[in-house]
Amino acid sequence: MNKPIKYTIIALVLVFSFYNAVYIKDLDAVKALKTKAVFNAKDYADDFIENKVQNLLAIDASSFLTGISEDVKSYSESKGNKLGISDDYYFIIDGKATVEKIEEENVLVTLQENKNRKLKIATDFIFGNAIREGAKMANIGDYQNTMDYNNISVELNNIVRETIVSPFKKSVKENDSLYFKGAVKVNVNKPQLDNLRVIPLILDLKK
Amino acid sequence: MKIPTKLFKPQNLFFLLAIFTTFGCKPKSQNDTKKIAVVISTLNNPWFVVLGESAAERARELGYEATIFDSQNNTSKEAEHFENLIAAGYSAILFNPTDSEGSVSNVKRAKQASVPTFCMDREVNSLDGPASQIISDSFSGCVELGEYFVRQLNKKGKYVELLGLVGDNNTWNRSKGFHSVVDHFPELEMVAQQSADFDRSKAMEVLESVMQSHPDINAVFCGNDAMAMGAYQALVATGKQDSVMVFGFDGADDVMNAIADNKIKATVMQSPKAMARTAAELADQYLNGERDFGAKTPLAVKVVTKENISEFGNYGVKK
Repeated sequence: MNKPIKYTIIALVLVFSFYNAVYIKDLDAVKALKTKAVFNAKDYADDFIENKVQNLLAIDASSFLTGISEDVKSYSESKGNKLGISDDYYFIIDGKATVEKIEEENVLVTLQENKNRKLKIATDFIFGNAIREGAKMANIGDYQNTMDYNNISVELNNIVRETIVSPFKKSVKENDSLYFKGAVKVNVNKPQLDNLRVIPLILDLKK
Repeated sequence: MKIPTKLFKPQNLFFLLAIFTTFGCKPKSQNDTKKIAVVISTLNNPWFVVLGESAAERARELGYEATIFDSQNNTSKEAEHFENLIAAGYSAILFNPTDSEGSVSNVKRAKQASVPTFCMDREVNSLDGPASQIISDSFSGCVELGEYFVRQLNKKGKYVELLGLVGDNNTWNRSKGFHSVVDHFPELEMVAQQSADFDRSKAMEVLESVMQSHPDINAVFCGNDAMAMGAYQALVATGKQDSVMVFGFDGADDVMNAIADNKIKATVMQSPKAMARTAAELADQYLNGERDFGAKTPLAVKVVTKENISEFGNYGVKK
């Protein structure tokens, strides 16, 4: 075989191999595909607040306070949710109340059903997992990276801070009546029943 | 050569069969005590020593032979351990991974060899690899620590964050929990965020270097207690130990003593003993046929400060 034919064949083989070894794809399309597989905690939290909170089952606040003051441990074990091995239990409660005092980080309310029962509605320091665990809206075992699971709480708290608490703080006054629904954390070893804080999901002022 | 025909008589054959059946060569593992391997990311940190020793101790109490392997924070070393212990016929692995992504292949290799893995403290990014993962609820701990941090600094000041190993999910769960609180206070300014790999000496070097450009910091948040001790040493070297608050995570003995002595402000107690015992007990249940485990079991952690330190004992809450 003469040299030009030999080199042409080698060149063709090399071009063919190279062509089949390299794939060129649109970077945006690849990125979009990757993002689709990534869990979006903000969308998940938005969907929960917009579509699920209204029908979320809640314990009447007055019977909740009676239950935990009688036997915090057994009441929490039967009615509350907890994450893994922990002494912290979470509940979703609701009720009608009257604003007694506006404090720096909370609004102190008295339950209308039982004037001796008081609760704090959190208006600052809205952090942690109370809503996620109270509503038992997600299971940690479904998340490959626990950070995704924790991001749900971060996003829920952001929404509460911006869309629920912020307008409430601007308009709430002492002696206002309101309907509330929210999440509460109770530590069964240190219950601190006089200092329970409700992270609000619904705050409906009746002027 | 003449073969004695007597040997082939039926009664002799039955006799030989009975002898071979009774004293024959069974696979060794069926005769010996089952072995459990405890693979730890590093034994260069007292917290992980307690984790490894507690796991091995509980496994022994449950009737297994237990051996501790040190991965020296090196994923290839860890892979070597996995290869060796699979070949050596270990029945289960109590595993503290070096890297949430890099350790997945090791866990999957063990699973292929029918050796179940139980992760302790650190997770791997796989739901189907480990039989179960027992992890600290680092995020919640750092939310609580973040609230304490904000109140101690009266919502304003400059601070440095020392991160752990960047490939470990705990590093980011702790950092994210902390920032989910602290970032909502605009007068708290983070002047530097650097990794010191969960290592005491590195933390000291990193903080010394950061303080050359930021001598006016008010606090240091560290992703573990070893780094908190390193940061404290750096502050002592510059004479700022009384004006800069240090916050750690783990509940290690030296930091608990430092909190009692007003040297370190707070830490988060995560109990290596509870995690290790739970992992060993789950492994025992698995080897006895149980398969219904949650993919992840988080353990609650608690903030330790000067005010509540009396409630805590050696690597855990007082009973």
